[in-house]
Amino acid sequence: MNLLGRALVVMPVAITLLPLCGLSSHSDRNTCPDFIVTAAPVYTPLAELQGQERFPNGAQLLLVHEGKAEPLVQGFAATADADVSFDGKLVLFAGKKSASDPWQIWELTLQDRYVRKVIETAGDTERPLYLPSGRLLWAQRTAYGFQIESADDGHLPRQVFLNPTAGPGILPLTYVHASAFPTDVLADGRILFESNFPLGEGSTPELYTVYADGSGVESYRCDHGRGRWGGTQLASGDVVFTHGASLARFTSPLAQEDPIEAPAAEYAGGIAETASGEWLLSARAGGGAHYAIRLWSPSFTSKPGAAKLETVLAITGIDLVEPALITPRTRPNRHPSGLHPWDYANLLALDARLSHEGDVITPPASVRLEVQNERGVVAAMGTASVERDGSFFVKVPADAPIRFVLLDEKGSVLRREKGWFWIRKGEQRICVGCHTGPERASENRVPAVLLRTTVAVDLTAGATRPNANAAAEGN
Amino acid sequence: MSRRCMSDSAHCGAIFALACGAALLFVVAMWPAVHGVVHAEAGAVKDGSADYASPLELLLSPDGTRLYVLCQQSEEVRVLDAATYAPIESITVGRVPRGMALSASGDRLFVTNTWDDTLSIVNTRTLAVDATWQVGAEPSGVVEDREGTRVFVANRISGDIAVLDAQTGAEEKRLLAGRGASYLALSPDGRRIYATHIYPNPAPLRTGLENRTPPASEITVINTQRAEVVDRIPLPSIAGVFHLALSADGRLGMVAEFHPKNLVPLAHLEHGGGFAYTLTLFGADVGKPVEIPLDEMERYASQPFGVAIAPDKSRLYVTLAGSEAVLVIDIPRLLHFVHARPRPASGSFAEDLAASGKYFAARIPVGHNPRGLALSSDGRRLFVANRLDDTISVIDTRANRVASTIALAGPKTVSTLRRGEQTFYSARYSFQGQISCSSCHIDSTFDGLQWDLEPDGFGIDIVDNKMLEDIKDIAPYKWNGGNPNLPTECGPRTEKYFWRSENYDNLQLTDLVLYIRSLPARPNRSRLPGNETTPAQERGEAIFQRTVDRFGKPIPETNRCSYCHSGPHGTNQKLFDVGTRKPTDSGGLLKTPQLTNIALTGPYLHDGSARTLEEIWTIYNPEDKHGRTNDLTKDELNDLIEYLRTR
Repeated sequence: MNLLGRALVVMPVAITLLPLCGLSSHSDRNTCPDFIVTAAPVYTPLAELQGQERFPNGAQLLLVHEGKAEPLVQGFAATADADVSFDGKLVLFAGKKSASDPWQIWELTLQDRYVRKVIETAGDTERPLYLPSGRLLWAQRTAYGFQIESADDGHLPRQVFLNPTAGPGILPLTYVHASAFPTDVLADGRILFESNFPLGEGSTPELYTVYADGSGVESYRCDHGRGRWGGTQLASGDVVFTHGASLARFTSPLAQEDPIEAPAAEYAGGIAETASGEWLLSARAGGGAHYAIRLWSPSFTSKPGAAKLETVLAITGIDLVEPALITPRTRPNRHPSGLHPWDYANLLALDARLSHEGDVITPPASVRLEVQNERGVVAAMGTASVERDGSFFVKVPADAPIRFVLLDEKGSVLRREKGWFWIRKGEQRICVGCHTGPERASENRVPAVLLRTTVAVDLTAGATRPNANAAAEGN
Repeated sequence: MSRRCMSDSAHCGAIFALACGAALLFVVAMWPAVHGVVHAEAGAVKDGSADYASPLELLLSPDGTRLYVLCQQSEEVRVLDAATYAPIESITVGRVPRGMALSASGDRLFVTNTWDDTLSIVNTRTLAVDATWQVGAEPSGVVEDREGTRVFVANRISGDIAVLDAQTGAEEKRLLAGRGASYLALSPDGRRIYATHIYPNPAPLRTGLENRTPPASEITVINTQRAEVVDRIPLPSIAGVFHLALSADGRLGMVAEFHPKNLVPLAHLEHGGGFAYTLTLFGADVGKPVEIPLDEMERYASQPFGVAIAPDKSRLYVTLAGSEAVLVIDIPRLLHFVHARPRPASGSFAEDLAASGKYFAARIPVGHNPRGLALSSDGRRLFVANRLDDTISVIDTRANRVASTIALAGPKTVSTLRRGEQTFYSARYSFQGQISCSSCHIDSTFDGLQWDLEPDGFGIDIVDNKMLEDIKDIAPYKWNGGNPNLPTECGPRTEKYFWRSENYDNLQLTDLVLYIRSLPARPNRSRLPGNETTPAQERGEAIFQRTVDRFGKPIPETNRCSYCHSGPHGTNQKLFDVGTRKPTDSGGLLKTPQLTNIALTGPYLHDGSARTLEEIWTIYNPEDKHGRTNDLTKDELNDLIEYLRTR
């Protein structure tokens, strides 16, 4: 969208929201913690994963204090995506000073309302989140859609000796040709993000995790199906997300999602959990209604949760989404990056025959590495032997979309990975199998390949031309 | 970046630098002050400072009116009223007690004392020690048979079970058990004793890959009437087995255990990359023994220790010493899972992190380092000993919550060393709570395993895990001498390559380092009283100190035992190439290891390839690079080993 176009769509909401706030709002509840919410005339939850605008008519952050809403900041043409710091004193948000500006990341100090631009980037930057130890992350518009990036937040000294990822400059965290948006930072330090499945080529929203240095990317769970998005972690460690027109959760003991018996509604993703365990969420009745902020008391015991959604804030003609509580919260763990100072990566597969979709019966003889170049063209980087126990050890190009293809003795494809993933520079990664799912732990045995050699097969300098076979074989 | 931010950064940077410096100064200043002071699980040195109780094991009297609390650090058994929790008596026992059991009649309480190798016989009527029997090396678990004729004691160091006359304490015989024999349980019908051991057994075959084969442990089954071993239940892939429990009907038994992943490069912890924590179930209810995981996908059941089964077999309870919690498992659902799910050929479900969701009932947070537990006869109250809190959690088993916490008498402040010990044993610092220092350094010692650590590369530089006793003055650390001091060893390196998660802060690191530095060497059982030596030990010392070989040829200084293994710890702290480099080793220079209690710490060499001390020279020293030894006779080599065992 060109600058004039941006200005035309953002200006109306900037103008129309201001008088609405605090005047036309409706609430069933008098006492609710203060929170921030994004207000927009139109909100289309998954638009950006499809390359469209979430807020085609602009958006504005509202501060809701004792049930009364008012603009969070002045002097912006558009604001959205609030994230409150762990101490509850600062707010990161995406904002446009003027309607023609791209979205940029700003930070508000709640006490004195001081606003600063946190990072200067070209193009839209959205959905900022605080990371531990003075880092933050956001989604950056690129030629391949939105990619997640990270940088120092400008507040704390960098502890470079402890965490090489905290070096100067911007650190890209995702490396596929598809949009990725961060939705939460998990207690264990991983970043929860949404993209499509299969990663890098699919169209079904799915939740993934990646470490704060961009390593270790994987699906949160492997029971892929209907779209999952808007993931948020609760104090219990469960991850709640929107699944179709309802809510569901991932809980540590279960390999599959667990449905949540929530009241029938359309949920906009991104809940906020209060200290008393209630959920502040955005929901609408459907049929063209607007999203309002509701409160719900969930229950995962034999007693069902409260049957009714209690309206906390509703504004006529406005979608209210992305609630963020203004309260201190537990800081997630910092991820201590163990990346090596290399420009390549190593991958050790313990048993490539294992798969969530059914183990490969025919013994694979070799594995082919495929890389997607900047233009999206697939190139084969060569093959490596697969040992009798299914193990292989390869040196691969880093920070680029890659996938593996298992081949039989004749070179025919036994199985090709769904989608793409990446390995960071200096990362040494171990895969239990090919798409085995997080529930599959490693077996305690020395992989046969390491008994034969400790040198990885170098697949970093393979054929650079597009792989005609790969294209012909399809998926 | 705005000017304000840059200003803040500079300011914070100065504060950070000052804080780091202060922490370092604190470490340096504190080291001499705490010299020789320790209260480890492995051992304790009295220092006149505050004595924590450190409750380790619990027992309820047969009538349920008394709770016996084995306090390891204060070296006593405290007797509490089981209803009011009021103290009744404190009974001083021997050095560093570890195990206790009531006699069949309930009139005697047996307490094993690990540092003076004794068994205290407590009269439960008078609550006084009636007798103290000298027993084997590091006695741990103890039970008496139903007839009251024999007492069985597991000796951790000698790896056996002593059979004693229950009236006199006279040793009748020893039964070979696993390495580090420690915990015993009597079957409900009294016919069997089940024994576990905490270190894996040595690899049985010489294949050249002993240090690359899965560990193996076992449950030793003893016929109590005949006092004979009648079965050994294999525990494949297990290293670290702790308490056992048997159901009241005798049909279901289980042991708490560690399932390490030492053969896979330790590149990350997710997907059970470091450890699985499991139970092995055995008995008529399950048929063949089966291993079931306690872990979940994002939450680990770190370091299971104590196990109890509800009288009605509805629930089982496991203390998670590293996770600081009690895990509750629904037994009917567990048995359904075991029978309904096709059993892997290995008999193990340890690789299925979604399995525990099928039988998980609750996870109840308790105090630091929960260990022993005791269940009331009606199954309604579960007592849990929080070793590093000096408390006992009382769990209401119907509500699955801590109903009350009993604070044992003792110091109310938490000392530096205790904080360090809490850090050592807590898994909270590792990714998803999977491991702690004590996962590999069991009871502050070692694990008998060799690990493939990631930073060196995959399959490269396999390293044997070393014991932590008396290591304060032997820097540098690591086999390649790469870490100049313990703060380096335990700080950033551990955070990056072991915990894979945010570590402790500098003050906690200081506490941890001080604790590790304070760990003493346990008493050496190969030394005779009064520093006497045997003729073999004297001959061995002469070989150790010799400067010429048997042909009168001078031995170069650097090729003498006494040169590299000099000083009080048996190391000159320098690096040498002793000819043990393997093709998978990135270098041949190795730091001379200390000799402290070397007899206990096999296997040997940097990668654990020598199963015994003898193999160091008979197999791995063909060119005399590891000291001049090829001129020695078999007897002389035995003498040398006899001497080394006294170090």
